[in-house]
Amino acid sequence: MTAASRIVWLDDAAAPGDPLLGGKFSSLATSMAAGYAVPPGFGITTVAYRDFLDAAGLVGEARRVRQAVPGLALADIQAETAHLTETIMTADLPLDLEATVRKSYAELEVRTACANVPVAVRSSGESEDLAGASFAGQYETYLWISGADDVLKHMRMCWAGMFSETVLSYQRDGDTVITQGDIAMCVGVQQMVQARSAGVMFTLDPLTGDRSKIVFEACWGLGEGVVKGDITPSLFVIDKVTFDVLKRQVATQTEEYRFKPDAGTVGLAPIEPSRQEMVCLSDENIQFLAKLGKRIEADRGAPQDIEWAIGTDDDLWVLQVRPETVWSRKSPSRPIAATKSPVDHVLSRLSGVKVAASNSDASKS
Amino acid sequence: MGNNQSSGKAPDAKASTSKSGFSSPFDIASPKGAAGWQELYPYYMHISPERRELEESKFWFFDGMHNPEPLYPFDTIMTENWWVAASQMSNRVWPVPPAMGIDHRVINGYLYISPNSVTDPDKLAERGEIFASRAGHYFENWDEIYENWKDKAKDCIERLKAIEFEPLPEYEHEKHVFSHRGLYSSYDLLTSYSRMIENMLEMGSYHFEMLNLGYGAYLTFREFCQSAFPGITDQTITDMVSGIDILLFRPDDELRGLAALAVELDVADVILGQNSPDSVLGAIAKAENGPKWLEALEAAKDPWFWYSTGAGYTHSDPVWMDDLRLPLSAISGYISALQRGEDVRRPLDKIVARRERVTAEYREHLPTDEDREAFDGLVALTRKVFPFVEDHNFYVEHWHHSIFWSKVRELGDIFVTRNFFDDREDIFYLHRHEIYDALYDLLIGWATGSQSRGEIYWRPIIERRRGIRDVLAKWSPPPALGTPPETITEPLTIMLWGITQETVDEWIGVDTTSSDQLRGVAASAGKVKGRAKVITATEQLYEVEDGDILVCRITAPSWAPVFPKISAAVSDVGGIMAHTAIISREYGLPAVVGTGYATTLISTGDIIEVDGNVGLVRIVEKSG
Repeated sequence: MTAASRIVWLDDAAAPGDPLLGGKFSSLATSMAAGYAVPPGFGITTVAYRDFLDAAGLVGEARRVRQAVPGLALADIQAETAHLTETIMTADLPLDLEATVRKSYAELEVRTACANVPVAVRSSGESEDLAGASFAGQYETYLWISGADDVLKHMRMCWAGMFSETVLSYQRDGDTVITQGDIAMCVGVQQMVQARSAGVMFTLDPLTGDRSKIVFEACWGLGEGVVKGDITPSLFVIDKVTFDVLKRQVATQTEEYRFKPDAGTVGLAPIEPSRQEMVCLSDENIQFLAKLGKRIEADRGAPQDIEWAIGTDDDLWVLQVRPETVWSRKSPSRPIAATKSPVDHVLSRLSGVKVAASNSDASKS
Repeated sequence: MGNNQSSGKAPDAKASTSKSGFSSPFDIASPKGAAGWQELYPYYMHISPERRELEESKFWFFDGMHNPEPLYPFDTIMTENWWVAASQMSNRVWPVPPAMGIDHRVINGYLYISPNSVTDPDKLAERGEIFASRAGHYFENWDEIYENWKDKAKDCIERLKAIEFEPLPEYEHEKHVFSHRGLYSSYDLLTSYSRMIENMLEMGSYHFEMLNLGYGAYLTFREFCQSAFPGITDQTITDMVSGIDILLFRPDDELRGLAALAVELDVADVILGQNSPDSVLGAIAKAENGPKWLEALEAAKDPWFWYSTGAGYTHSDPVWMDDLRLPLSAISGYISALQRGEDVRRPLDKIVARRERVTAEYREHLPTDEDREAFDGLVALTRKVFPFVEDHNFYVEHWHHSIFWSKVRELGDIFVTRNFFDDREDIFYLHRHEIYDALYDLLIGWATGSQSRGEIYWRPIIERRRGIRDVLAKWSPPPALGTPPETITEPLTIMLWGITQETVDEWIGVDTTSSDQLRGVAASAGKVKGRAKVITATEQLYEVEDGDILVCRITAPSWAPVFPKISAAVSDVGGIMAHTAIISREYGLPAVVGTGYATTLISTGDIIEVDGNVGLVRIVEKSG
């Protein structure tokens, strides 16, 4: 193994689709190559993870845990994993790995012209591509980490997170996904966006599967609240063809996620009253986002689930792009209306039969 | 006087409501000063106590879409026409299985209508079979039938134009004597009147020949799109199928062209400098190149200025041909735009390209190939029928009916000449059957040389009727009366008037005395706050100021020239196929239609907020 394959920069020509970056980060590299604004960063690859497990003598223990867990009650899992996760946090790193991570972080400081540049340390598992499983919210992401020491610590926490109860018990179609192979993890290190507003965008209507819509949820501050669900976001439904705003449901928001310098972490902070009822996106933001969503979907050839943030300079950043997994997996839907000639359609409509069995007249609501 | 009127205005009609939520049609009191209003209308148009059970069991809704004001006695010919002509189409010609004809009643001068439905399964099946074969024939041969329809319509209009009402001569014309014709001016006058009425009923029949089928195709396509793409806007659906170069836009296009010509001929400032049509024409005639522009104006007038500023169903809506204020004010607006360097032509190429792109993208978003096949078929069929749906309006309501009203006025002149009336407009206070009598009375006076009784008989009646109608015009009709059906499914009601279950529920729920919020159909997207200008008569249109929000019973499509001034539109009545929809959206203004009570709840000067995205109107601040 060469040192080079332990670190891959997002803007590396070979990065897009590189399996060593895991699902999330290789997808981000693809996005960056496609010209979307992705915050700069690098991945500490699955090679680094495997080198570490090897050097720490944990390969066998990891396999044992994965085999032992299926069928166990949630409460019993932790006892099985405690030794493994503790060792991941404390075992020595291979020396050259630690040096490489420190060197890469220093280079990110140079690239961003920012000493101690705050970064997000994000898990990017190989398993994210497995069986269409999204692992949404199962893997850990740590925000606003500054300095190489903390980056190294949170890298270990991401690794240990692979053996959390939720990941080990994550199931898809009745199978525990994690048992399906020797799954490794990449840890992404990426500059933080100082988000004024942020959110999640689907390039279809997640409620109906309607492909002619772009739907996004947005909130003030970092997007954590939208993903976690502890902030009621504002909802926007955009027509993907005409970009008409079909629905705009603005939520009142009293708290937002942001970096709290005194606590040194990201947390909920009160929003000043004048901003609580304001829409967190301008009309221009909405149009820009919707057009970006449409473009990303066209580039990827399938509906996508996109995390984004808007910085304090109205700069829009793409934080994550992944395939939409619910509707895209469904087999072709039932036709909307029984097949007939158009004249027969009209004749039966005038006979009092509605066009579709479940006609939802949403324009009236 | 003003106080009495405003306090007596609105909700007395809601005072006693049945358990259904709507008043019985027998419980509607006449406003003070309107006693005896029934004499303005024939016996068959009234709610009648001898069939009380029938009248109360039906659901009557106010047809403000076509008749926002109290009917003039003569003008009932329009609504009486479609009472038969539209009803026979859905009931006798191609029996739409669940829909028989649509009944009419006049209440306090306002038109209420009620669809009759079929529920017997055997009857439904029988009708369905006949319907399928007849309607199928029309859809299959649509283009050819429509070409013939245009010829019939134009021929009907030509024959109407040829009808003339000449003053009766002192002595019969020599030509009638020496040609041994044996028929004289009295016969010509009487038959000209009959031919004019028959001509109106002829066009009235053509009006509905293809209309329901055209609307039916559109409605089917619309429902398909709403099922496939919940929340898609009506405008987008219409954009996919509407014609590009439709006749209804042509009058406005002529004005754009005249504005461009005025700039080219260097007479633009002459037009901008004047404030009445007469002074514009006078000043232009004197300007160098002015006669050239006037020549172009004259060339544009026939037929394009046979364009009503209303829905075309009443004589009182000014027609461009007789009233140049609206077209000249629009020309001024276009001239100003040109002088600012804007291009005022409609970008046809762009509209076509957009229509193709939008249609292709929606098609792509459908889930299955079967759906794409159904979509393709419905798009093709709807595009085939839409030119008729959009253009019949110009042939019938604008071109033909405008000429018709002008012909009736010519007959009015004859009555003025014979000392029956003081003013040609008085003729509209007589029902068309009364005119037949009055005309015969007039012939008697001419033939015998003695005084017709009509010379003293009609003046007091006309004065009384004028007073009554003026009172009724200040009364606000409730949106519905009687007993609503359990569910509204009858296709014609939904299609032509936009009345759905939600509409009825909303009407029942509205409290007209305290509500500061109205719900309607979101007709055009956007949200605007501004000063309300309530229009209850077409004359008030000229009082609209820049930035006003137009509040009216119905927005007529040919009010187009005031649309550049207003910032939004709200109406009491209206649905998806209101003629309005096409043009109001063209101007990109937020609009909420079918609110039921906007002209009752909102007064001129109120600050209101119109949300055309969701169909909501909010009164932010009452004036005074």
